[in-house]
Amino acid sequence: MPNLSAEPGQGTTVLYAIEPDTGTPRIFSLDVLRGIALLGILLISIWDFGGLSSNEQTRIRLYEKGADHIVLVGLQFLFEGKMRALFALVFGAGMVLYLNKPNRLTFPATSELYIRRQLWLMAFGLVNAFVLLWPGDMLFQYGVMGILLFPFFRMSKKGLLIAAMVCTLIYCGKSFWNYADDKTAYKKFKAVTLVEARIKKDSAARHNKDSLSGISKAALKASDSVAKKTDTLTKEQQKDKSAWEGLAKMQRYDSTRAMDTAEMKAMRLGYGKVWSHLLQRSQAKEAMWLYRTGIWDIASMMLLGMALLGYGFFNAQFSKSKYILLAVAGILGGLLLAWYRLHYGTVKMLDYEKYITGNSIPPNQFFAVERLLLVTGYASLVMLLLRTVLLQWVWKALAAAGRMAFSNYLLQSVVCTLFFYGYGFGYFGRLSQLELYFFVAELWLVQLVFSVLWFRYYNYGPVEWLWRWLTYGKRFPNNKKPL
Amino acid sequence: METSITNNNPHPVEQADRIQTVDMIRGFALLGILLMNIIGFGINWDMWSNILHGPKNTWDYYSFAAIESFFDGTMRGLFSMLFGAGMILFTLNKKDMPGGPTVTEYYYRRLLWLVVFGLFNAFILLWFGDILYFYGLCGMVLFVFRKTNPKWLLVLGLVCMSVTMLKQQLGWNEVTDKRKAYVEAVKLEKEKKILTPEQAGAKAEWQEFEKRIVPDTAFTNRNLRKMRSGYSTIYSYWIPQNVDGEVWGLYHQLIWDGLTMMFIGMALFGWGFFSNRLSGSTYAIWLLIGYGIGIPIGWYAFKNGLQAEVTNLNYYVDRYPVNHQMLYDVRRILLSVGHASLLMMIYRSKLVPWLMKALSNVGQMAFTNYLMQSIICTWFFYGYGFGYYNKLAFHQLYYVVFVVWIFQIIFSAIWMRYFRFGPFEWLWRSLTYWKKQPMKR
Repeated sequence: MPNLSAEPGQGTTVLYAIEPDTGTPRIFSLDVLRGIALLGILLISIWDFGGLSSNEQTRIRLYEKGADHIVLVGLQFLFEGKMRALFALVFGAGMVLYLNKPNRLTFPATSELYIRRQLWLMAFGLVNAFVLLWPGDMLFQYGVMGILLFPFFRMSKKGLLIAAMVCTLIYCGKSFWNYADDKTAYKKFKAVTLVEARIKKDSAARHNKDSLSGISKAALKASDSVAKKTDTLTKEQQKDKSAWEGLAKMQRYDSTRAMDTAEMKAMRLGYGKVWSHLLQRSQAKEAMWLYRTGIWDIASMMLLGMALLGYGFFNAQFSKSKYILLAVAGILGGLLLAWYRLHYGTVKMLDYEKYITGNSIPPNQFFAVERLLLVTGYASLVMLLLRTVLLQWVWKALAAAGRMAFSNYLLQSVVCTLFFYGYGFGYFGRLSQLELYFFVAELWLVQLVFSVLWFRYYNYGPVEWLWRWLTYGKRFPNNKKPL
Repeated sequence: METSITNNNPHPVEQADRIQTVDMIRGFALLGILLMNIIGFGINWDMWSNILHGPKNTWDYYSFAAIESFFDGTMRGLFSMLFGAGMILFTLNKKDMPGGPTVTEYYYRRLLWLVVFGLFNAFILLWFGDILYFYGLCGMVLFVFRKTNPKWLLVLGLVCMSVTMLKQQLGWNEVTDKRKAYVEAVKLEKEKKILTPEQAGAKAEWQEFEKRIVPDTAFTNRNLRKMRSGYSTIYSYWIPQNVDGEVWGLYHQLIWDGLTMMFIGMALFGWGFFSNRLSGSTYAIWLLIGYGIGIPIGWYAFKNGLQAEVTNLNYYVDRYPVNHQMLYDVRRILLSVGHASLLMMIYRSKLVPWLMKALSNVGQMAFTNYLMQSIICTWFFYGYGFGYYNKLAFHQLYYVVFVVWIFQIIFSAIWMRYFRFGPFEWLWRSLTYWKKQPMKR
């Protein structure tokens, strides 16, 4: 652990502020990064909030030109998955900071408070998913991962870095295995089509033979129908066939928009109907997604955040050239991989059959590495910018939003669900992509202003304050003492 | 806490600190768990239907009825209770060392390793009924309640039980609704009315559901073929099912199943129930209550519930707006308490001290014995071992259980004479403390 009260480097006068009643060191850069991640997450989650379906995204990506296309692809290129990753990175760093707080006599031990905090976070996540009805909730998963990674917080920074790399590799492996499953499905499909072709040929040959042998038409029809019974695919074969057909169909743009229409109809209904419509989606995110993908998705970035904190990355303890190097290498490398993912992703969307026969790896094979590089690059860039005196007010506003990220995150759910879902204003699927981003910009502005104003009067964001109350089992005053 | 604190640093529990009765009950539960698990290890699922549809005067039926009404879920329940108690023993026996890892950290490391062992048990030893994975995750929730008053722990346990019951009822409502829609559709058809697509769909849906309760020959044959194949076939056969259990089994059911019993176990431990601190008459009363209510409920739920449901589904669904499964947790809490009270009374009577000692040996290395059951049974039943899968009649499975019991009792007695921990316990401890632990006595 770096000594946080050590002499701050140049241009870092605002880096340290001691919280009044806990002594938790706040690192300004972490607050800024958290603020950026928080706002950035909305860029992507607005698709699900606002009803920009993946089918519509496919359409824009494949068949649209101009602003719509550029905005969508640009976001997928620069931000998709990366803002979530940045959030996890900061969460990991925050974890270590929290756990390094010394025990205090009148309170439960820090580690105990930490576990309680995580359990409450899970509870908040459940509220976010099942009461506010945001199936994209990540609080639950962060709560779980915070507990699973708790035993690692004492690991050396090098160990943590290696662990982060291992998780990244496993994540890459998962992408590969999922693709391998698709490949198997395709092979099975091919085998079934061969059987089908043979059946067709056989029955055609039989028909020819029978019609030449001068049997009456009625008898021919009867014998044909008997023969046909042995000529159909078995249940298993039919299943294999439709499995691949389903996979391939999912990739393509569906011009009938059947799914989109059904989804819009459901999401514009009342609370109860929307609740049951989203129930399984939320459950799948909390259970299956977490088990198969989320663990590696989240753990790799949290571990990286823990390691970077140990190296003093967030305390501006790297040299300027090191930050520049990390920023350039991270962003360039990451964007290269992002380009690979998007380019081949488009090929895959156009014709999955062609893609799968010609490629041994999926387009998202290096997604985990892409995130790792880009997030490191972005964070380094921010660390560089923080050293300059430029735009101080922007950083301060972002830090304010980041300091109450939990409140702001839930606020996004509240605002967006009420604006888009049927029991609110019902704008689900009614805004174009560009209109959605006007909405995002407005919400950003509101959140920034609100956060700055809030900290004029209070020490903690509202939900943060409630969270502390629940964790400690004791209410702390939130008002700022007049100076 | 009744145990003396001999050493304040976090370290494995010493012999002197162990509570013999806790080990004894754990040993009993560990052996008892095989009564249920052997079904999963050794026999095809259509056995359920076959036995319940078959004659009622066979050993198969008797043993099945006894297992289902008297044991099902109770041994896992007892095991969970002691897992909760063990959590308190582990955490409250130790004090933090300044500067070093805290007890909390050791506890979570231990559980994380337990999760890893659970994955090993499920994906390497190929025991799909593994519970270690679930215990590891449930234990992570328990920790913050280790100092909670027993009364509140009991309340928490009952709250978790209510969640299970609520889910149970909601699930059953769906079934009865399906049935009602079907009956409605059939009635309309009899009146020669044309069904709407929804009504036709509802009719088909019920018919599909009805089929599910009858064993599907193609499915059971495939299961048989797979289970009698080599390791890699069984491995890939079980992956999706293991994943399903660890994801949805946990999320929908086992987290509540585990927490219910763990909270109640912590409460009972707090009251001194498992550490022989209550009076003889208290145990006698709990034996009477546990068995006195638990056994009749168990028999009733088996006879009028499970058996009726399997043999006459339509009648059962029409007749009962509440499924007998609703009694599952009530029954197993009572029976688990009954089992434990009975054991405590035998222990106190000093009738068979050698047996009690044997059980406590088994319980001291319960983790090893649990994994050993997986190793023995998979090798005995699965295709890459002796391939006895589905070759024994239902009641014959219990000969195997008996042999495994004898083996484990003898093995544990000998092992514990020379070593301080069971081999897997030793490994687990060494991993938790990240330091090779002394093994020899």
